[in-house]
Amino acid sequence: MPRFPSEQWFGAVAAVFNGDERYQGAGGGQCNCRAGVVVEAPNDAPADVFVLTFEGAECLGGQPADAAALADVDFYMQMPLADWQEMLGDIQAHGHATADHTLNSLDLNREEGLATSVHGDQYREDLFFRYNQTLQFFFDASARVKTARA
Amino acid sequence: MSEAAQLDVERDLDLGWMGRRGEWETQARPSKNGLTLADIQIGDYGDPPVVSENQTGVPRGAAKRDGSYRIGAYGVRTKSEIWLDNASFLYEEALQRQWSSATDIPWHTIDPLPDDIEQAQCAMDTFLTEVEFVAGDVPARWVARTTPDFFEARNVLLCQVMDESRHMDVFRKRALANGGGLMRATGGTAGVVGSIDHSRDFTEMSSRLHISGEGAVLTIFRLGELMAYNDAEKAIYRLCAQDEARHVAFGVMHMRYMAETAPERHEEIHCYLDEAERGILSGSQNPAGQFTQTSESMAILLGGGKANFDEGRNRLIAIRKRQLQEYIKRVKSAGFGDRFENGRSQVPELLAEIAA
Repeated sequence: MPRFPSEQWFGAVAAVFNGDERYQGAGGGQCNCRAGVVVEAPNDAPADVFVLTFEGAECLGGQPADAAALADVDFYMQMPLADWQEMLGDIQAHGHATADHTLNSLDLNREEGLATSVHGDQYREDLFFRYNQTLQFFFDASARVKTARA
Repeated sequence: MSEAAQLDVERDLDLGWMGRRGEWETQARPSKNGLTLADIQIGDYGDPPVVSENQTGVPRGAAKRDGSYRIGAYGVRTKSEIWLDNASFLYEEALQRQWSSATDIPWHTIDPLPDDIEQAQCAMDTFLTEVEFVAGDVPARWVARTTPDFFEARNVLLCQVMDESRHMDVFRKRALANGGGLMRATGGTAGVVGSIDHSRDFTEMSSRLHISGEGAVLTIFRLGELMAYNDAEKAIYRLCAQDEARHVAFGVMHMRYMAETAPERHEEIHCYLDEAERGILSGSQNPAGQFTQTSESMAILLGGGKANFDEGRNRLIAIRKRQLQEYIKRVKSAGFGDRFENGRSQVPELLAEIAA
């Protein structure tokens, strides 16, 4: 059972996401971006950083990286571990994110937002909005991945 | 045996009239995303002219037909007037990321709402339906004015017309789906928004429509998830925001092309942005700002009813701050950020006022 966050967990979710054609319709579809996932650890420990790569209809998985890699991604999503776990718990409970647990709602409800970038190029940051349904489908796919708590 | 079959055996048909004078033996290969427009940009087929003399509708790369009559009074015939570097990419993305307002929205999740909230939602639906008519009408006119030699940009605009049609219908459907209905027209398409259609130059139109107008509406769609009271409304706003972000991307990339290739037009473009900032971002037409009917509706929806209007208004102000920040960063990304450094733009001051 993969734990969140880990390369194995992102790989397992990507396998579910890539194998379900429903995620290519209904506002999903071609998606080309590199998105960082930053999981802030409790007690000031270093954050876990992963880089998710989407190419066309596929997610190539999430590779572990260091903070320097965030300069190269189009945007990154950063939250404390507890908030990521709460979002994933909601997805597990309902089969998809509900209420304030969607990525867009999390972005809007946080003073500094959920998605941001190192480079500050709004064209690239806008990919978070342009591909939002695909990103949501990806995390919603985690409802079908048994996840061990960190 | 039929006569046609006999002819095939006894004669060799002369196909010379088909005019095989263009490039031949072209073999486009599908890429990872299928056979895309980018994959068929081969040889001369992939080279749009700097200036197009095409008034007869001949497809780019095809042999011309002598004596053809003119079918289009194409006013946009200079590449720099309309070009952007990733039009093919945006077009394929638009095609592949379509959705249906009939079947992809979970309409069954809508339940009766308190009257004040339903009324505010219906007022927003009415406003957004009005706005989307403009956002569809305007690019449609420019498609017809643009030479077919620049079909990549035309095709993106055609997809935008489809997107805006869907936005118009989905907000109309929402207004009629839950015991409410359309409210009094807001008049939001008069004044600055309506004047987008008076643009006499494509870049003028794009700066007004794609950068200023759609950038502002993108923020409204995004915050729609906070105004939503069920999964149907959440889906509506999220999917509309995706489409709108693609339209904004068109404008940013066109402006970036102009910034890099047309220095003689920089001052002119700054003037368009001056005008847009006065009208949409700083004036009474801004739906997230001082435009009473929509800002009241949004505050009611954000607060959770008219009893919580002040709370909703505070959330609206926070969103307006983000709207302005995103606008500044988009204009910078488009290559015209100097206006925020040299004091030409008043938007940073407005942002400081909101923060104070």
